[in-house]
Amino acid sequence: MLARLAWAVYLTVLLAWLVFPIALVVIASFEGDLQVSLALRQFSLDAYRAIPRGYWESFRFTVSVAALATVCSLLISVPAAWGLVRGRLPERGVVSNLVLLPDIVPQLILGIALLTVFIPLRLSNSFAGVLLALMAMNLAMGLRFSEALLSGMAEEYEQAAQSLGAGRLTVFRLIVLPMIAPGVAIAALFLFMQNLIVFELLFFIAGPRATPISILLFSDIIDRGVVPQAIGMSALLVYAGIAFYAAVAMLLGPKYLAGTLMSRKG
Amino acid sequence: MDAHPPGPSQSVSLRHVLKKFGSFLAVRDLSLEVAAGEFVTLLGPSGCGKTTTLRMIAGLMPQDGGEIRFGDRRVDLLPANRRNVGLVFQNYALFPHMTVAENIGFGLRMRGWPKAKQQAQIDRYLALVRLEGLAGRKPGQLSGGQQQRVAVARALAFGPDLVLLDEPLSNLDAKLREQVRIDLRAIQREARQTTLFVTHDQVEALAMSDRVVLMNQGEIEQIGAPQELYTRPATEFAARFIGANNLIAGQLVEGGEAPRVAIEGQDIALRASSSAGAVGQTVWLCVRPEQVKISAIAEGPPDAVAARLTDMIFQGGTMLVEAAAPGIGKLRAECPPAEVAQLRPGDAVMLSLDGGHVVAR
Repeated sequence: MLARLAWAVYLTVLLAWLVFPIALVVIASFEGDLQVSLALRQFSLDAYRAIPRGYWESFRFTVSVAALATVCSLLISVPAAWGLVRGRLPERGVVSNLVLLPDIVPQLILGIALLTVFIPLRLSNSFAGVLLALMAMNLAMGLRFSEALLSGMAEEYEQAAQSLGAGRLTVFRLIVLPMIAPGVAIAALFLFMQNLIVFELLFFIAGPRATPISILLFSDIIDRGVVPQAIGMSALLVYAGIAFYAAVAMLLGPKYLAGTLMSRKG
Repeated sequence: MDAHPPGPSQSVSLRHVLKKFGSFLAVRDLSLEVAAGEFVTLLGPSGCGKTTTLRMIAGLMPQDGGEIRFGDRRVDLLPANRRNVGLVFQNYALFPHMTVAENIGFGLRMRGWPKAKQQAQIDRYLALVRLEGLAGRKPGQLSGGQQQRVAVARALAFGPDLVLLDEPLSNLDAKLREQVRIDLRAIQREARQTTLFVTHDQVEALAMSDRVVLMNQGEIEQIGAPQELYTRPATEFAARFIGANNLIAGQLVEGGEAPRVAIEGQDIALRASSSAGAVGQTVWLCVRPEQVKISAIAEGPPDAVAARLTDMIFQGGTMLVEAAAPGIGKLRAECPPAEVAQLRPGDAVMLSLDGGHVVAR
């Protein structure tokens, strides 16, 4: 009994600690400033109304580049992983380890490295530059995700389809993709969320013509303090994340999420 | 029921097929002819090369030598999807995201059959494996036995040259297995489908096959009809692997049509002819438990061996009798319980071994 009680307290504290900062932002967004009181005395949408046009543009930029980078990198990494896993290529070990690099190297360093490449190519401070930078990061994760998914799928399904007359591409399209689709959707969720808030990687690559919302918020808060519109925009980012998560959850059904999230990461 | 247009099935011929894994020879110089419509089983212990052989025929694994033909078509250079082989896996490998009908129809779809014709063929095969009404289910909603039947229907429906079954009964419980064994054989006969079946279970092999190919260490040990394999094993391995057997060391005194074997100084004339070697050769005399005749010591026939009963185990229809024969060792006999009703463990008896068969030692 005591053990159960202790367990309940432990869980409550843990959850509170996880949820508290997010709840704080959301509540603050309805009060117009960071002096939060839980009573919500002066409920208002002022913080949201105060969001300037520049924020909205930056938000749209962030969401579209994040989504596009997610889609593009999965379009590349899933077939690549299939080739690596099923092709039994001797290079697999090397490639699998090489693609870890973007995750091991601090993102700031990766960003600087990319900048040195992007400047001569006129890619810094552009949509394409941000997209490519995000993809460099997403490909690594997408490849690892897909490798784990495919390793967990028995090869017999593909062999059965092959013996029934399906060529390689048909096998991939009709058997492999549908079978790993739930896992790929979860991978997409991860990549998109990461892209939405990525900061260090884009710190030098971004510019006035390509400003992710995280960097815009950072510079505004540095310059002017925690202004209400920053809180409002932060809250919007929380909603975007939750909405995307909910969409994936509804698409897959609850059994694939919660718990599978991390274990599928590989 | 005429599920098949007659004769899509092909004969299969393997010539000098070879497979190496590094320096390990998994299949050595294997040659085998299977007639169209025949049911042939590759039987052997695990690691004998039977599954490797099946995978090479299916095109899932390249061979390192030899050739494979279906009819007069050479297939060993074709990829798996162009060999026209129906394959049933041990775990069935039904596509979990497709319905039963979509699974059965997959091979038809790949061959570009028109929709209406596909549907008719799917219905025909659902009926053949008695799964009418389950067409819309997903594999996850079926029992193991039903899944197995879907896998069989899927492998047959597109009219393959050859069907390969890789231990398809090993995931079923014992009772179901017996039924499926009968069903599978009936379906195969009805479809007149050339079939290669891989198993390590000799009971399955004997019960289902037209012919059994007994394999050991990558080579064919013996090919024959089930009865032939059982009554006339060609090698010591065959004699030990298939069925229970008493193997008694002896020496061939006379070969040919009326062989005689010397065991422990006793000369035993055998009823069967011998295929094993020259006079004077050391041999195993193989006697099935049910071939051993037990008699009380007074009435023993002249060339029986003396033994003492050590144990009697009632098995329902038969009594399993164990006896120790001096100089020979432990022998087993199996007979109707009434025949040995008078005997008790410890009794001295005579065992006649003349129903046996001789293989080289």
